[in-house]
Amino acid sequence: MVTLRVNGEDRQADVPPDMPLLWVLRDVVGLTGTKFGCGIAQCGACTVHLDGQPVRSCQLPVSAVGDRAITTIEGIGATPEGTKVQQAWLAVDVVQCGYCQSGQIMAAAALLARTPNPTDRDIDAAMSGNICRCGTYVRIREAIKQAATGQPNGLQVIVDGGAA
Amino acid sequence: MKRFLIVVLLLIVIGVGAYFVLNRTDHDDGTAPVIAGAPANADPVARGEYLARAADCVACHTVPETGKPFAGGVAFKLPFGTIYSSNITADEETGIGRWSDDEFVRAVREGVRKDGKHLYPAFPYTSYTQLSRADVLAIKAYLFTLPKVRQPETPNDLGFPFNQRWAMGFWNAAFFRSQRFEPDASRSPEWNSGAYLAGALGHCAECHTPRNIGYGLKHGQELAGQELQGWRAYNITSDPVHGVGKWSDEALVQYLRTGYAQGHASANGPMGEAVAHSLQFLKPEDTAALVAWLRTVPAREGKDPIVVDPAPKAVVASSAMAPGGDDPSANVDGQRLFEGACASCHQWNGAGQQTPNAGLAGTRGVNDPGGANVTQAILQGVKMRIGQTDIYMPAFGHAYSDPEVAALANYVIHHFGGKEGTVTAEDVAKRRQL
Repeated sequence: MVTLRVNGEDRQADVPPDMPLLWVLRDVVGLTGTKFGCGIAQCGACTVHLDGQPVRSCQLPVSAVGDRAITTIEGIGATPEGTKVQQAWLAVDVVQCGYCQSGQIMAAAALLARTPNPTDRDIDAAMSGNICRCGTYVRIREAIKQAATGQPNGLQVIVDGGAA
Repeated sequence: MKRFLIVVLLLIVIGVGAYFVLNRTDHDDGTAPVIAGAPANADPVARGEYLARAADCVACHTVPETGKPFAGGVAFKLPFGTIYSSNITADEETGIGRWSDDEFVRAVREGVRKDGKHLYPAFPYTSYTQLSRADVLAIKAYLFTLPKVRQPETPNDLGFPFNQRWAMGFWNAAFFRSQRFEPDASRSPEWNSGAYLAGALGHCAECHTPRNIGYGLKHGQELAGQELQGWRAYNITSDPVHGVGKWSDEALVQYLRTGYAQGHASANGPMGEAVAHSLQFLKPEDTAALVAWLRTVPAREGKDPIVVDPAPKAVVASSAMAPGGDDPSANVDGQRLFEGACASCHQWNGAGQQTPNAGLAGTRGVNDPGGANVTQAILQGVKMRIGQTDIYMPAFGHAYSDPEVAALANYVIHHFGGKEGTVTAEDVAKRRQL
């Protein structure tokens, strides 16, 4: 039995120690917002935070988590960066199919927590490990800048009056 | 003419005499020092299991993921051909089920199998010759409790003259001495245990000691490092710059037990196997003994010595999330590859975040301009189980071309080692073949 601190709540899980954290989160704890993509820590879809650090939960054995606080896409909105990122994501309408987006948002929130005003280079370096098959990269970069500055930066959603 | 014949005859007699003198067998049973995990009064099978692990028999005698432990068939690609390990399960037909105690002891300590033919020294009888008879027979007793696997030997793929097993008699005359472990009374019992664990059982020297042109160990260069099967087995002498002299005892213990020592090393390749199959199972007292012995290995520089840069410019200038300090014009391709495929686990400051094993900063791999182990890790990835945790890195050999792997390896060496890597696409192509 392991105890995990997920989004501020203690969750018990009776799982083998080598089970990847992603399996525990999705199949045992029931938080299915975090996605399974490649399964080999290469696509970024499964990104969650451990004490604010983005990690690939598909390749992280649950026994390696220890007492570090886990934040998933379900809980990221409760952090200041997460709120900003989510609002900017809506304003720019980043999402297309959406499958990679929980990972993208987790990576972006972690970036902003460390680098509040990232350059294009910072964004590339931090987000390169998160793959989007729909090619939303331009909108992702735009939304990260908007989340950082609070200023609309072009690429706004025309139908969304609130953001214009 | 007569005198000439006498000289020839004399030379033959001397030659034959030398052959037999140099090939003489040490008939002493031998005595092992105290090994904490295999006390003399324990059940022989339990002792044998521990000793077989300490000798890492499984690594060479088991093809991974076949579910056939000790059934042999592992390929060893050597400069002169490929040889395959043998079946050492107790199967009567294809294994060692019909071997007597004496035959087994002779094979392990003298390199001569049941039918009297020589084994090749890929099987480290050159080290195991130091084992006590009691320890060898404990290993046999353990092997005979395991399921028998019927699996015939894979024939070796060796050209002439290397396929002539009798010729190994001459190799033995030149490079092998049948000799039991000799305790050093001037050293502590712990040191003697360590010497036996490293020399007789763990056969560290077989990978870490350079070899001469005849493939014999260069004893004057003991443990100064060697490359084999495409991987560098590093210098593990007490040399403070090129060896492990500067590592703390705690770091050495941590490395031997987990394959990872912060700021020093993260095992993969053959050493990863040695930790995963063998070293992690040693009792802490035995690990401590190994370290006590390791400390006394005379310092040597070795060939192509590696100097670890403890604080390369780029590592210092980088954060976990963002790169810094790289020459912006240099190796853009390598940086882009690292950014996309590597940074999220290894981090730009080399700290490693998925697992501490992903920490690159301070390791000899990234400080080796030749990039042998960095290239191998990129091509083959890492998969080993330490305790209850899988240490995993995907293999990128199929994902990237030779020039891409070379660019990535050179970037890693530049960024984390502060050195200019010299890996070429041709090097990568060669390593793929190993």
